[in-house]
Amino acid sequence: MKKYDAVVIGAGNGGLVAAIRLLQGGAKVLLVEKHNLPGGFATSFRRGRFEFEASLHELNDFGTKDNAGDVRVLFDELGVTDKIEWIQIPEAYRVISREEKLDATLPFGVKAFIDKVEEYVPGSRDSVTKFFDLAEEVRLAQAYSSSVNGKTDPKIMVSKYGNFVRCGSYSVNEVLKALKMPKKAVDILNAYWCYLGAHCDDLSFVHYASMVNRYMKRGASMPKMRSHEISLALVERIRELGGDVLFNTEAVKILTDKEGGVSGVVLDDGTEVPVRYVVANCAPHVVYGKMMDKVPEEEIRATNARKFAGRGFTMFLGLNKSADELGIENHNYFLYDTMDTVRQYESMKTIKDNNVQATVCLNRAYPECSPEGTCMMYFTTLYMSDDWANVSPRDYYKTKDYVADKMITRFEQDTGAKIRDSIEEISVATPMTYARYCGHPQGVIYGYESQYWDGLMPRLQMMAEDHRIRGLRFAGGYAMRLSGYSSSYFAGDISGRQTVGDMKREG
Amino acid sequence: MAFVFKKQIFGFMDLLRFKKMVKIRREKFALAPATPIPATYKVNETAKILHPGYFKGKLVQIDLETPDTKTYTFETSVPFYFRAGQYVTLGCKVGESLVSRPYAISSSPEQALSKKVSFTVKKCGFFSGYLFDEAKVGDVFTIGDPSGEFCYEPLKDSKNILAIAGGSGITPFYSMAQAIKDGTINCNLTVLYGARTEKDLILREKFEALLSDKCRIVYVLSDEKKAGYENGFIGADIIRRYAPDDFTVMMCGPQAMYDFVNKELSSFDLPAKRIKREANCVGVRDVADAEYQITVHIGFNTYKIKASAKETVLTAMERAGLNAPAKCRAGGCGFCHSKLVSGKFSLAGADKRRLADKKFGYLHPCCSYPDSDMEIIVPKA
Repeated sequence: MKKYDAVVIGAGNGGLVAAIRLLQGGAKVLLVEKHNLPGGFATSFRRGRFEFEASLHELNDFGTKDNAGDVRVLFDELGVTDKIEWIQIPEAYRVISREEKLDATLPFGVKAFIDKVEEYVPGSRDSVTKFFDLAEEVRLAQAYSSSVNGKTDPKIMVSKYGNFVRCGSYSVNEVLKALKMPKKAVDILNAYWCYLGAHCDDLSFVHYASMVNRYMKRGASMPKMRSHEISLALVERIRELGGDVLFNTEAVKILTDKEGGVSGVVLDDGTEVPVRYVVANCAPHVVYGKMMDKVPEEEIRATNARKFAGRGFTMFLGLNKSADELGIENHNYFLYDTMDTVRQYESMKTIKDNNVQATVCLNRAYPECSPEGTCMMYFTTLYMSDDWANVSPRDYYKTKDYVADKMITRFEQDTGAKIRDSIEEISVATPMTYARYCGHPQGVIYGYESQYWDGLMPRLQMMAEDHRIRGLRFAGGYAMRLSGYSSSYFAGDISGRQTVGDMKREG
Repeated sequence: MAFVFKKQIFGFMDLLRFKKMVKIRREKFALAPATPIPATYKVNETAKILHPGYFKGKLVQIDLETPDTKTYTFETSVPFYFRAGQYVTLGCKVGESLVSRPYAISSSPEQALSKKVSFTVKKCGFFSGYLFDEAKVGDVFTIGDPSGEFCYEPLKDSKNILAIAGGSGITPFYSMAQAIKDGTINCNLTVLYGARTEKDLILREKFEALLSDKCRIVYVLSDEKKAGYENGFIGADIIRRYAPDDFTVMMCGPQAMYDFVNKELSSFDLPAKRIKREANCVGVRDVADAEYQITVHIGFNTYKIKASAKETVLTAMERAGLNAPAKCRAGGCGFCHSKLVSGKFSLAGADKRRLADKKFGYLHPCCSYPDSDMEIIVPKA
């Protein structure tokens, strides 16, 4: 075995990017992944004549060559943008909510979006425009913060980004209320909330506005060959840069030295890899629960303070008719019972009461993604408690079918499309599936919840002090940028570069 | 900026609030308990029963079903669960080779929860021959994760399953019949079971003990005419005689049976979703033999092994005693997903790889024959 400077544990979105950053920084890197494929959730799978996207609804903040988002800039730096064929998502979303009888379809583009909301809610223009003004200031403030590696000058923050600082401690709903936005416009604007998995009384405005603004400004993208194309492109790049990647290989222990810093990694076959730096693309709960023997008490307390975010459930359908024939009009649907996100969040705690779905028909963005005369869809929801822990193996398949059946019925009722009789392939992923493939506790797919006190801002502000164990940093959805594709890539970017810095500093 | 955002009467109060966020988070951390972080979670434990990965099975019983077929019953090291119709791999070391084969489980999902699993295997090849002739009670085997989509799927399939079984292809349907009987699945099963003669029928008495208004079986003998049995091959007439109005076909048997039944089914005009076939293992390729060298990277090791043009890359690795991943042996499951560094290969049958796998040069060794020397990166099993 050759000598390594760093081991990256987990080839999810964060781990893949961290490995490239480490290699670019001159480190010798070993990336280990317990599954036989890279990407974590960013993968695809085949059923019959369909190749399903496993998780990506749309990639935020990528943009086009002429209107590049931060993810594209990152991918350019990593050297992977051109290894992937990209398509643009045609429209933002269609949101349908029963309680308010809301049915609105929104375009990408800040101006187009504001115009459309004004059409649905006359008199909303002023407040929605202010929302985007604030959101843009948030983006600029974040760019400034990144450019100085989080060591912001308070004077510059207050003088140049005063609005950002003044709105930075509030929830989405608190800010929208201050902007005096009409309720229906709030309802339309809050449609994306389930992408971040915290209700809008809790969810940080900065975090939400930042996401919505990037969607509207840059549109959304998708790799042609599903997210598996991104994941393989990143692995390709790691190998080009001389990194080693081992699949079907689980890191089971992180060893520490007398001072408590990282001294090695033990693999599942007993191999010990001596190394002083680890980037863990997994939950701190997993690392401190079973991979490290001595964990500082402060770190245990901090970990116990966190709250798990949504546990995932996705149904995949391959349909033997085209989207036109079936009456599936849109690419991206959000179906809710109510736009009262607090109440909706509560109902998502049980298998019985959760009716929320974020649903995609990929053919509406990329018609050739499945054979002619067919289309494919995926339906995702989140569970905000561990109700799936109550499901025994014996009841598992029936419970899966119960939820899948409910999702089909709901989609048909709310959109008028008829899909049930055209199902050629069906596959369902539950919290157990996510727990199995990625090892996440309880099948969580959204990392730690973006609670008010643990939102994007305080996590970024405390990045330095959250790093308590020498040689150990985290990437992926549990880290400082929170969950989601682009956030996980950025967390890998940050932790990878920081580890390069640690190496240089510590020699 | 066009406007000044203020939430409170004085903007500085918003600033103070912003500054306090770090303090609040520090307090939350400090006040949380120092109780140890759990090593595992309920959902993850259930996932382990549904997807145990590799586990051990101790052979506890061998029953001779017919002169060339035995049922092997194992006590497993862990409880597990599966969907009736699924397969697992059964493997062990035979000589210097690490060998495994996928077999449909013939016992019920319920039994697996109490650590019992059975396979009914006809002696017809290298590993099945080893099982038949050598395996004895007390031997320990490695069993793989339950896999495959050859199951009743209530949201897509007709409530009526028309099973077409050839030879040992009866096994997944025997598992399904037990699952219907004990209420694990809820569908109607009609099995058309083809064999050469009456004495070739496997699991007959056991299956008949499960018959009910939801589960019936029809024997179709090709080489024997007898009262109470259909004679010939399973063709359109026989299917029409026993099939309900609306049905999903599930076929499990040799390729020759699939070819025949496919033609016979064409007159029914069934959509693709109504016909399911269990995949068969890729066999040898009918070409002039040639010997190639394959450089295999597994883990931190590199091996140079010999390969025959007639056999798959996976077989070459198994013959060399390498711990290579193997599951469906039909190219579909992707478990052996490996990276091609150099060399040429041909696929057996349809290309079931993902699109990006083709683009970035990945292969499934279980369904790829070498056409030159090759170098590949393979994950360990």
